[in-house]
Amino acid sequence: MAQYITRRFLWMLMVLFVISLITFLLMHSVPGGPFDGEKKISANTLEILNKKYHLSDPITKQYLDYIGDIVVPRVLPGAKAIDTAEDYLVVIPVPQALFGPNQYLKWINLGPTFASRSRSVNDILRDNFPISVQLGVAALVISLAIGMPLGIISALKPNTPYDYLGMGTAILGVSVPVIISAPLLQYFFSVQLKALPVTGWGNIQSMILPAFALGFVNSAIIARLTRASLLQVMGEDYIRTARAKGLSERVVIMVHALKNSLIPVVTVLGPLFAGLVTGTFVVETVFGIPGMGKYFVTSITGRDYPVIMGTILIYAFILVVMNLFVDVGYAWLDPRIRFD
Amino acid sequence: MLRSRNFVRFMAVAVLTVALTAVGLVHAQDKKIITTGINMVGSDLETIDPGLAQTVSSVEAINELFVGLTSTNPKDNSLIPGIASSYDVSSDSLTFTFHLADNIPWVRYNKDTDAVEEVKDDKGAVRMVTAQDVVYGIVRGLDPKTASPYAYVYPDFIAGAGDFEAGKATAADVKVKAVDAKTVEITAPAAIGFAPFIYGLWTLRPVPQWAIEASGDKWTEAENINTYGPFALKEWAHDTGLTLIKNPFWPATADIPAPKVDEVVLRFLDPQQQYAEYQAGNMDAITLDPTFIDQVKADATLSKEYVNGNSFCTYYTGFNTLKAPMDNVHLRRALSLAIDRQSIVDNVTKGGQIPAQWFARPGLTAAPTLQDYPDLGIKSNADEAKKEIELAKKDLGGTIPQLTFAYGDVGTNAAISQAIQQMWTDTLGVTVQLTAMDSKTYFSKVHEDPPQIYRSGWCKDYSDADNFDNVVFHSGSTQNDTGFANADFDKLVDGARLETDLKKRTDAYAKAEDILVNQVAAMAPVYWYTTNLMVKPNIERAESVTGNEAYYLWDKS
Repeated sequence: MAQYITRRFLWMLMVLFVISLITFLLMHSVPGGPFDGEKKISANTLEILNKKYHLSDPITKQYLDYIGDIVVPRVLPGAKAIDTAEDYLVVIPVPQALFGPNQYLKWINLGPTFASRSRSVNDILRDNFPISVQLGVAALVISLAIGMPLGIISALKPNTPYDYLGMGTAILGVSVPVIISAPLLQYFFSVQLKALPVTGWGNIQSMILPAFALGFVNSAIIARLTRASLLQVMGEDYIRTARAKGLSERVVIMVHALKNSLIPVVTVLGPLFAGLVTGTFVVETVFGIPGMGKYFVTSITGRDYPVIMGTILIYAFILVVMNLFVDVGYAWLDPRIRFD
Repeated sequence: MLRSRNFVRFMAVAVLTVALTAVGLVHAQDKKIITTGINMVGSDLETIDPGLAQTVSSVEAINELFVGLTSTNPKDNSLIPGIASSYDVSSDSLTFTFHLADNIPWVRYNKDTDAVEEVKDDKGAVRMVTAQDVVYGIVRGLDPKTASPYAYVYPDFIAGAGDFEAGKATAADVKVKAVDAKTVEITAPAAIGFAPFIYGLWTLRPVPQWAIEASGDKWTEAENINTYGPFALKEWAHDTGLTLIKNPFWPATADIPAPKVDEVVLRFLDPQQQYAEYQAGNMDAITLDPTFIDQVKADATLSKEYVNGNSFCTYYTGFNTLKAPMDNVHLRRALSLAIDRQSIVDNVTKGGQIPAQWFARPGLTAAPTLQDYPDLGIKSNADEAKKEIELAKKDLGGTIPQLTFAYGDVGTNAAISQAIQQMWTDTLGVTVQLTAMDSKTYFSKVHEDPPQIYRSGWCKDYSDADNFDNVVFHSGSTQNDTGFANADFDKLVDGARLETDLKKRTDAYAKAEDILVNQVAAMAPVYWYTTNLMVKPNIERAESVTGNEAYYLWDKS
């Protein structure tokens, strides 16, 4: 097991490296730069800005510097970041005897953002990412809370009104995108009924609508998967055996059927979790939530190179870690699966 | 027993919560807080550093925090004193001596005391806004190390600025001098009558050297910033909003009085969300998204809260006059004549925009107005357009090849471009291929290799026709993507810049405009922008034609 995880971890680093390289090359091959606008800035100013942010360096040097700033720890003076291009995520004081006064071990610098001149990508990670995580986890809990029961009921009573109602709800969830459902929810519950805040973040009330809007869409996927998988498992021999042993129907379903039917659901949970906790552009915009999701979009339209790289790498990192968890989870769910 | 103790605890918490909420409500009622979304968009402000600012949103906050040497009256765009109570001009009109008010302290918001306090130096003395601060602000704004996107405006108004920006001279060569603590002397390379307006622009405002040196890029964060304007910065919640708090130390002047409200909250929301918050009663003033205009106008209550105002921007269609067949003047004129501008503002944009006959938007100083120059420029005229297209066909050997019309795919650009494409096909029988691009691709394309026809626009940096005609279409301008270069036009706008008689200046710009949009037809003006706002009836908004709001004049009842 330990060997398996070590091997997967090394693969993970490889995957992240490849993703970073592809993203870097793709974003630099798109025409237009971060400082292009309706008003053309003078050639002189452009040159200074390009120099300041090292955009005039050869592309290979830019890439290696970028990776170096993330991977290589450094000992530098000063605890506080004065320059947005010198903001490190990990800052640990080092012994004065060895390195001199006011020295710190600094690690992981994701660079500045051009869209906000006083902030860095690490600032986005510190301020915006936790908000997306809160919303994402809430949405995931809601989608499981709605999706799993719906799927189970539909599977246990196939082709009955329960099944039609459950799957009807699921189809409604998948077919109405959040760009429609979010403003509608906002209009009815906040503008008309004034029951919940229209926009904003910071308390439970403001979390309800966005978490529901996000959770409902995904609950539909989970409901469909649970139903299909559970239906299949219910037809297996060992279910018949369990029943023949005289186990109550409740035990048969909860202990034998459900656990074995969870594999497809767990498989989608990995990517689903990664997608939800890194934020969603539409929901964040509609509900005015200062999450990280909108940076996935605005960084690309604004050619904000360090933010493009930062957001993609964070997303990719969470995705590969979650997939590892999922694979380990398989073994627990189905002892027949072995990692050798 | 346990149960009853829990009950007591629960009741205690409940009572305390209610009491605290009540205190909070009473407290909140004492304060006048305006929540506004005007000029804000659904993303964070790029900066509130005067030296770096380039968007209307940034300038909105900066105007309340930092006041210029001179300022403009929001009501009519006229020059009013800023932090300099007066200024003298030398006999050759080149040197301006500004006399600073001597009672403006630097301030900061103290989170612990929830109050604005004066900033003290190392010796404990209150830091006042001095001539040195002014000089530091100006030099920093021009410094190539700052890389201000607006630095290009100033070389014509401050001697030595051009060489300094280009790295050919040092800060000492910039002709801005602190004569004493309260006197600043600025020397211009040429006698330009409206230079005092320029010296009040945001890029050149005083900024706190000590705070910038201590906090670097982070000096604009609420915990680091020092300001002196009518409002101080209470909070900047990135991606959410920015809270301004009344600065009690601002020495109220007749022109820039003490604010009547305690706080102004600028919220960063998309116009759709602003409108939802406005309807829910949570916002006092918003920018109205064009999609809601019909709905608002049809509503008896909402229509009374609707405000249609000035915005110093012009929407136009640029022609690459160097690229065949757009190098044909008859073709360009035919295309311009065939645009039914009234139909575009009535049916597409719907926000009370004004069909544009020329480039420099009326209302700018020295810009021609429709009252005085009703027939100037170009008007939509299908019959004339058909005559011109025949002439063009003769020149081009019988047929007009398919043309390319590019635009950045944001806002109403697509709808407007499609309407224009249809008008050209219907009126002239010309086929036009529309090319939508994302903004950054589009701008780099337009600046490097302009398409035959492209969507463009210009908004004022300073309220003078010079900022339009001279800055954009002078043959030496870096903003001129059309390839238009006309000696007569250059002579007129160069002359108008130095002329001091307003009537003569306006006439010169009128003549220049006629060359630009009619004789040469290097571009087709489409419409002059307006602002569309919603303001609650209990808010007393100060009228503003500058495109930015003057919150220090607002009140709430």
